[in-house]
Amino acid sequence: MKLTRLFLLAISVSLFVSCSNDDDDNTPKGAYDNGIFILNEGNSSGGSVSFASDDLSNFTADVYKTVNNGDFAGVYLQNIFFDGDKAYIIAGGSNVIDVVNRYTFKLIAKVETGLVNPRYGVAKDGKAYVTNANSFSSVTDDYIAIIDLATNKFESKIELNATANRILLENGKLYITEPYSNDKLLVVNPATKALETPLTIGYSGDTMEAKDGILYILRSPSATSSEIIKVKLADKSASKITIPQAQGRAGYLDVYNDKIYYTVNASTYAINVNATTAATTPIATTTLSANGYIYGFAVNNDKIFVSDGGDFGSNSKAFIYNLSGSLQKELTVGVGPNGFYFNN
Amino acid sequence: MTLKKHFAFSLLLLCQFIWAQKDSITSLKEVLVSDSNLKKYSASQTVLKLNDSVINKNEALLTDLLNFNSTIYFKEYGRGMLSTVAFRGTTSSQTAVIWNGININSQMNGSTDFNTISGADYNSVSVKAGGGSVIYGSGAVGGTVHLNNDLAFYNRFENNLKLDYGSFNTIGVNYKTNISNEKWSAQIGFSKNSSTNDYKYLNRYTWKGEQRWNQNGQYDVITMSANLGYKFNAKNSLKLYTQTSNTDRNTSLISESETKSKYVNGFNRNLLEYDGNYGKFTANFKTAYIFENYQYYADNSLNQYTYGKTESFITKADFGYTIFKSTQVNGILDYNRTKGFGSGFGNNTREISSTAILVKQDFSKDWKNEFGVRKEFTDNYKSPVLLNLGSSYQFGKLYNLKLNLSRNFRIPTFNDLYWEEGGNPDLKPESSYQAEIGNVFTFKNISLTQTVYYIKITDLLRWVPGKNGIWIPQNTDKVNSYGAETLLSWKKQYGKNYFGANATYAYTVSKNEETDKQLFFVPFSKVTAAVSYSRSRISAYYQFLYNGFVYTQADNDPNQIVDPYTVSNIGIDYDFKLLSSFKLGFQVLNLWNENYESLENRPMPGRNFNMYLNLKF
Repeated sequence: MKLTRLFLLAISVSLFVSCSNDDDDNTPKGAYDNGIFILNEGNSSGGSVSFASDDLSNFTADVYKTVNNGDFAGVYLQNIFFDGDKAYIIAGGSNVIDVVNRYTFKLIAKVETGLVNPRYGVAKDGKAYVTNANSFSSVTDDYIAIIDLATNKFESKIELNATANRILLENGKLYITEPYSNDKLLVVNPATKALETPLTIGYSGDTMEAKDGILYILRSPSATSSEIIKVKLADKSASKITIPQAQGRAGYLDVYNDKIYYTVNASTYAINVNATTAATTPIATTTLSANGYIYGFAVNNDKIFVSDGGDFGSNSKAFIYNLSGSLQKELTVGVGPNGFYFNN
Repeated sequence: MTLKKHFAFSLLLLCQFIWAQKDSITSLKEVLVSDSNLKKYSASQTVLKLNDSVINKNEALLTDLLNFNSTIYFKEYGRGMLSTVAFRGTTSSQTAVIWNGININSQMNGSTDFNTISGADYNSVSVKAGGGSVIYGSGAVGGTVHLNNDLAFYNRFENNLKLDYGSFNTIGVNYKTNISNEKWSAQIGFSKNSSTNDYKYLNRYTWKGEQRWNQNGQYDVITMSANLGYKFNAKNSLKLYTQTSNTDRNTSLISESETKSKYVNGFNRNLLEYDGNYGKFTANFKTAYIFENYQYYADNSLNQYTYGKTESFITKADFGYTIFKSTQVNGILDYNRTKGFGSGFGNNTREISSTAILVKQDFSKDWKNEFGVRKEFTDNYKSPVLLNLGSSYQFGKLYNLKLNLSRNFRIPTFNDLYWEEGGNPDLKPESSYQAEIGNVFTFKNISLTQTVYYIKITDLLRWVPGKNGIWIPQNTDKVNSYGAETLLSWKKQYGKNYFGANATYAYTVSKNEETDKQLFFVPFSKVTAAVSYSRSRISAYYQFLYNGFVYTQADNDPNQIVDPYTVSNIGIDYDFKLLSSFKLGFQVLNLWNENYESLENRPMPGRNFNMYLNLKF
């Protein structure tokens, strides 16, 4: 009974999707088109995905559960990436990627093989490239799992002989950072599956963003000043902006329009992309929970999105600011919100 | 509708059942109890004693025994997996497990995993509600669970063998022999409980539509015990208790693609005890060596593990003096040295000494008072003065009023203090004040105990996330817990027919003082009930458990709960009277095929079966 119901649902969903394809572009392709997914990492009992519409008027606390009643998204939800009309949710603690329709959030398939503590992923030409931490005790066994997106099956791996975490695709190359045990920016050519010469950037390199041929990397060591490293991808020449240590330790970075937005402790700062010095005053400071710290950050749709990691035992909050830093909305999301993903 | 069904069924069975306690014969003989303070200093509190006939009716591991027969709430990570408790709304490390008078909660994490203990290894399991830190030390906040081996001194050679075979290839072998005369008493036991534990999850399917089942849930718990007693004369005796156990368990998956892991843990306990009784003076010396260890394999397929071990050396001297006929005083000195070493917390040693005075005064047969005070000395933390004050008054035959006040604590564990990284050496013990009023009504064959309590806990330890993803334990929370417990028991004999009924009900409110939210994994209500019938060779019973919903998050998000559940078991056995006893029994567990979980995403099995052979010779 359950299966037939699922089948009927699948048919109606596919009808709905195929019908909506005929409509013009502005018509929502599903309940969760034109909005923001907030990924809640969760704790050992599982994570969730929240949704807010672009105008922040509609909110659903747990989209995955609401749509895929009965299915378990996984433990430690780490990252979402998109390809075509699909969204891929990486559950690091469950070695699984949930493949859903990005507009309806209906589960399509799961990638269940070839993953060991998967972290972040990107898609290119029908393939997904997903970093895997593999065993946490080894600093040489991390790899990129290549997944065929037509079959949702693991295809092969690229051994990295280093640790790997965040991954970014720019101009056909994959760029990888890992903050704990790697002082290099790894460069991988997905076409040849070969590692290119890495660039030494120093330890604690984490979030990245590329714009106009420049890769911006935020690096936040515990003992010394945090830095924004700008790598000119054409010749791999690097320059850096030092964030005054007195401000604190930096967290996240995003580039939007012509500005670099980054966080230090509970504050968000912005500087011009061609600035050479760090900002002195924040544009916003978030009131975090008792032991909370900023755990997710993004700038998009002319808004700044900040999430509080909270205590990992209760629902936490997302804060949405306009670009000048005034608070527009506060949302109670799930446990451990760690990322914002824009479905436009 | 289902409740109605249960009710009707209970009524049906009420006209039948097992005589709970048939061990009156042994109680006439002289028995040396292992923990004399349990009886002596619990007049003002409630002790629920489960003896071997009750133990034998339940599934082997302690979780089932206590879940179906006491007010303690259990959180189980799937059948046979890690199982921790909340007693009177407290945390898992605020219930102390006491083995023959010695506190055996893990030095590493502060709690006991009730699925690593098999009930049949003991003569009795007692549940004492309420504070007990003055006598039992750290963790005796919500209550204590006592695992006791009592040695009897009379001529006997008895063997008891119980063999179980049940669903999911669940196998139980329990053997116990008692050899004794008036001088010597020996008790040797072996138990092995294992299961492939590959049960199907009721009505749960993977995204491909395949039936889900409990993967990687295998367990194997083996325990060997040997207890020996020697009476030099009427005044002096020596006892030795030893026990070794190993639990080899995989950890069941919550999603099919997860990395399979396993957890192996074991313990070795040795206790040597001398008892001297010289008229007004008594002396009791105990020396114990307790070893515990674990190995955690994050990936079954690799031979890589993290581990931890602790070794504790305990000596205790307890001197008793009878001042007047009505007044007894005990002075206790205690020294405890624990060495811990592990991949997570390095190599550390902790020394604690303590001194305690206990006074028991019986103004009359009906009015009993007790008082205790204890202070610990250690370099590791600042220890509060622990107190216990109680009174019991019997109004006629019908009614007994009990009052008890106590101050109890839970000390930080090796993990809390030394974990790398995050361990916080500056922690204080969790401390609590507790007050309770107990009303015991006894009328003919019915006994009704009604207790209300209030507990105020401060400096509750919680690991809070710090910057850089490092979690640090802090004395952050204050909790107020209050509630009511009801215990009911009834037994009656009509000719050759023996009937019995037992029930418990706990109502628990346990709130974080700051947020006014109920602690997660503390149900507001829990009910257990059992009816039993026996007539000559046949005995039968029916058990019932209702566990109210629990919040899974500290913010009490109403969408994040574990649903309430009701589970019933039924069993029958027949004694072929071949040897001194030859029972063949059959049990249906989760009779109504309830689809339930004790922890989210960890379903428990549906209806399943067990058969057993219980031989005495």
